[in-house]
Amino acid sequence: MSTADIELIDVRKAYYKDRLEIPVLDGLNLEISAGEFVALMGPSGSGKSTLLHLIGGLDQPTGGSVRVGDAHLERMSERELTAWRSRHVGFIFQMYHLVPVLTAAQNVELPLLLFRMSSAERKVRVATALNVVGLGDRMDHRPNQLSGGQEQRVAIARAIVTDPDVILADEPTGDLDAKTSEEILDLLGHMNSDFGKTILMVTHDPRAARHAKRILHLDKGVLHRDETNTSHAPVRTTA
Amino acid sequence: MTITYVLMQNLRRNPLRSALTAVAFALPMAVFVAAISFVVALGRIARENERQLRLGVHHKVSIINMLPEGMRRKIEAIDPNRERMVAVCGMRWFGGRVPGTPNTLQSLAADADTFRIIYSNLALSDEEAAQWQRERRAAVVGRGTAERYGWRLGDRVVLESTIPPYLSLEFRIVKIMSDPAQATFFFFRRDYLEESLREKGIDSPRCNIFWVKCRSAAAMRSLQKDIDALFANSPDETKSEDENALVAGFTQAAGDIPGLMRAMAVVVVFVVALVAGNTMMMSFRERTRELAVFKAIGFQSRRIFVIVLAESLMLSMIGAVAGIVPTAVVLAVFPTRALSYTPISALEVSPVAVAGSLAIALAVGLAAGFWPAYQAMRLRTADALRKVA
Repeated sequence: MSTADIELIDVRKAYYKDRLEIPVLDGLNLEISAGEFVALMGPSGSGKSTLLHLIGGLDQPTGGSVRVGDAHLERMSERELTAWRSRHVGFIFQMYHLVPVLTAAQNVELPLLLFRMSSAERKVRVATALNVVGLGDRMDHRPNQLSGGQEQRVAIARAIVTDPDVILADEPTGDLDAKTSEEILDLLGHMNSDFGKTILMVTHDPRAARHAKRILHLDKGVLHRDETNTSHAPVRTTA
Repeated sequence: MTITYVLMQNLRRNPLRSALTAVAFALPMAVFVAAISFVVALGRIARENERQLRLGVHHKVSIINMLPEGMRRKIEAIDPNRERMVAVCGMRWFGGRVPGTPNTLQSLAADADTFRIIYSNLALSDEEAAQWQRERRAAVVGRGTAERYGWRLGDRVVLESTIPPYLSLEFRIVKIMSDPAQATFFFFRRDYLEESLREKGIDSPRCNIFWVKCRSAAAMRSLQKDIDALFANSPDETKSEDENALVAGFTQAAGDIPGLMRAMAVVVVFVVALVAGNTMMMSFRERTRELAVFKAIGFQSRRIFVIVLAESLMLSMIGAVAGIVPTAVVLAVFPTRALSYTPISALEVSPVAVAGSLAIALAVGLAAGFWPAYQAMRLRTADALRKVA
């Protein structure tokens, strides 16, 4: 399976603070087809990141079901979810979260340490992933020797090196300038169009959302609007 | 790349902090190794002493208070058939030092006739024993003292007494003792000392201690009671002790060194555990989001636990080795000479101390890393990412 369809049925999620229930998602229903590029928008506290975490198996719903491909996440233990994530999901974070003492190649190699794979095979995969994001010549650079955009590219390479079905990006351009943001979004577009990856991207930025084929608007844990972006930005050739 | 490589790189994340933590481990470990080596050396000597079955009889008040020479005959008379005792040897403290040097040697004048029997473990050859008997100025010197002053067999040496009437006597070395328990001693004949004192107008042959060589441990216990009973209520009441008790008394006169060493070792362990624990907690807090990312990309909680714990272990073991190796080198190159009131001539690093310190480093590494590792294992990925996102 190289892509996945995602289905959420009556998903509820609440947090508890001092016995006080704070509902975040309230009976959310959603279907995402395999190979879609979806932007998830909404004000702070609307439940975007929570939804992302539920689909990524980082958190469990309070109620309802979350299915990604054949996996019913609400029925899985933490151990099973962790193993599932390593094979099926790639994460991209706003602050990149690279390990500062490792080189770009070593950061990308990290998820592969969980697979039974020879060192030579890992090297090939790492080189391929870094070439895809245009950093084949920066393999031995440490994060502090890279620009913000380059760091995010390394994070994208780390996310795709295991060839996951789904890429989940939480504000991937939130810390980047406009030009670099465009480059990163183009790169995500390539992952979607060229490699058929299902991408779900949380963003506050309408310009970023324009790169997606579908835009979901979430507010107070409820899906308010689900629109197809007919004018999504064309994917440009990346550096 | 392996997980071990990642761990090693993690230690480079904050090199100054890692180095300081390693030093904080290394210094107490160095002290610990030296302290335990000292205690182990004392223990080895104590075991050797036990085998020698020597009973030391001295004044009840203090070994400084001297006993009349004639008491030897009274002690011998307790066991005329020599069923329990082998021989008695009187000894008198000389307190000599090499002219121009500050340190007083453990120099004792011993009865010439029974010295060889009492100290049979010195293995004086017949020739050496004959020299001892023949030469009034014969001296038997421990290897530690001989090496310290560069003395060799046959050398003539002079010692000045540090106690009145401050005699200055010349000796000829007839034997260098290799027994580590006697490494710091300097024995010579008591008749030579008494004659020299008489020349100074002091004619009062006395001894600080009478060593009684016993035939068995049971014989030693019974003689101990009989001797002290014999002199009870006399002007010269005695206290009889086995050699280990006597040595322990001497050692503790300069402070309870073995006790201090052990106490220090315990303090070291606690201090190191606190330092390492603090460092690991700081390191964990700084890397909460990174560990959350590790979990997000598929590292199981148990693996995260092992990673954090292994990092703590690695740091503690590096610190321990950094303490042990220089200590061993320093003690090998510069043998410790400041132990003149203990029977140890040169402190060597004991394998027991090395094994002990490695075991402690292991335990401290585990203890210091356990809580941060447990916290990392229990880390809720979504919460950790949300806090920093």
